[in-house]
Amino acid sequence: MVDFRTERIIDEIWKRRLPEGGFAARPGGEYRPDATAWAVLALRMGGIESQRLIAAMRRLGESQLKDGRLALSPEHPEAYWPTPLAIFAWHRTHECSREASRAVSFLLKTAGTHFRRDPNSPGGHDTSIRGWGWTEETHSWVEPTSLSIIALRSAGCNDHERVSEGIRLLLDRQLSRGGWNYGNTTVFGTELASMPESTGLALSALSGLTAQQAVSSSIDTIKESIRSLKTPLSLGWAILGLSAWGERPSDANDLIDRCLRRQDRYGIYGTPEVGLMLVAREAEGGLLHALS
Amino acid sequence: MPYRNERSAIPPLLETILRSKPISRRNLVFRLVPRGLLAALSLPLLQACMRTESPAETFIAKVPHYGSDIRSAILIGFRELGVGPGEIKGKTILLKPNLVETRADAPHINTHPRVIRAAADAFRSLGAAGVLVAEGSGHCRDTLRLLEETGMADILVEERIPFVDLNYDDVYMVPNAGGHSGLKTLTLPLTLRKVDWVVSMAKLKTHHWAGVTLSMKNLFGLMPGSFYGWPKNILHHAGIENSILDINATVRPHFAIVDGIVGMEGDGPIMGAPKVAGVIVMGRNFPAVDATCSRIMGIDPGRVDYLADSSGRLGAIREENIRQRGEPVGSVNLDFDLLQKIPAHRGLRLHR
Repeated sequence: MVDFRTERIIDEIWKRRLPEGGFAARPGGEYRPDATAWAVLALRMGGIESQRLIAAMRRLGESQLKDGRLALSPEHPEAYWPTPLAIFAWHRTHECSREASRAVSFLLKTAGTHFRRDPNSPGGHDTSIRGWGWTEETHSWVEPTSLSIIALRSAGCNDHERVSEGIRLLLDRQLSRGGWNYGNTTVFGTELASMPESTGLALSALSGLTAQQAVSSSIDTIKESIRSLKTPLSLGWAILGLSAWGERPSDANDLIDRCLRRQDRYGIYGTPEVGLMLVAREAEGGLLHALS
Repeated sequence: MPYRNERSAIPPLLETILRSKPISRRNLVFRLVPRGLLAALSLPLLQACMRTESPAETFIAKVPHYGSDIRSAILIGFRELGVGPGEIKGKTILLKPNLVETRADAPHINTHPRVIRAAADAFRSLGAAGVLVAEGSGHCRDTLRLLEETGMADILVEERIPFVDLNYDDVYMVPNAGGHSGLKTLTLPLTLRKVDWVVSMAKLKTHHWAGVTLSMKNLFGLMPGSFYGWPKNILHHAGIENSILDINATVRPHFAIVDGIVGMEGDGPIMGAPKVAGVIVMGRNFPAVDATCSRIMGIDPGRVDYLADSSGRLGAIREENIRQRGEPVGSVNLDFDLLQKIPAHRGLRLHR
């Protein structure tokens, strides 16, 4: 039986469904691939049968480019960051297996710019490790790399060298005091600050392939701050990151409800944020565990 | 208009090279001019020979702390700069703060919410039909958290000011009117087409890549992260200075208000130390505002690449071409710390 609070979130997402398939980022808005992927993933986790979401999944497929990528818009093929999100949406759906497989191939052959580490560089991270960027021909960063690792692992690529390298990148970018930010560790010798959304995402990607000791300071960072987080992106990924390591807060669902109520203050959340809230609610063992 | 396309007497060949290569003017000058000659010529002097500037005006107000009457200071600045109801009445004003990231011990990273509130009040008192705040943070994807942790959310709620997250706005593409970076087009948030005035509300800060970050660099935050990434890596690859020039030439913003009440010195834009400067700097001409801010910080604007390149193209940076309203620079200037370990800081110090 579906919890009434889960039902309410499902209704909120369902309202953004478009008649021609797909979802908008906000009620009354236009189709967006990232919003569609988040909506499909969240609704499936909320118990909606895949068959009811086939039109949205097909719409995502129509947005897929020949090389397998999902770009934010046809005018901007370089903005390929929705690709791992689409893999989540198509996960284990027979009708979209070809699309999912092409998206996985795209990720495996795509990398952020990387180059030999310069010992005199003002940046502290290893620039030679390959991960994924938000857009084509830019450097690899923590969030797109984490999303890509989760997508590839959900597609059965746990042992692929790109996953291993991505894991290495994330560990290299971990801050010495714990946590991650968008992807810089030190600049001109000063360590930068961590961000909960990046930290939760990186923890989600690393779970099960890294010793807990290697990320314990990051887990502690999130545990210390989680009750002060009020906004969906930070809270959602923080909960998923802790859940992936068996450290889900006992009051996680209350935190999510409180965050959803704050739409009175902030205005209506985007579909990706509402979707993330539902996923965080349902994926008690973390995103990868839920996908598997 | 703040941005006339002021063309100059640059030799055509040099002009072609300068406008087609994504490298900074200073680097290019180093490549083209023999080193011996460079030693004899100061860069600003060389540039003065190349381009002429139209005069501009900036206004400086002393505002000792955030509890001061900031609104009145801004209104005086409007009057001094000729901004009145006739120009503002019925207009929709976009205030673009500098919101980068938050740390409990570093409120000086971001434009203070009270300065935003004061500007909104000031524009409304001149009859603006609407005021909104919009930002597309370059580091932090969770814009709501930024608003909450900076205290901006409280101000927006109390003052009923709408907010637009430019990182996820709908977009439109335009030809790059600057031509410095090699980017053929720029992708801009649709909100820019819905407003009449774009007001850059930057923070007075040093910057470890660009030397300083002021009203012109603040416009990086107009560029949607969903297309440019976090950080806005496409613009970094295209050259930070060149991208600053291109965005400003293309967007053609209307007004600048710089929060220099507490600025940042040293390793800006996020890791530097707070510096109490006690000023608000305003103007229509962005290079002139940034040049004045630089002088307040003890920095020679002619040695800041993007400002040197904007001279005569986008506005005025030379002291003799900037008519100073309000407080004179000499009454508020301080030397902001510049760090020798940061290449972009070397040689910037203004010799008063």
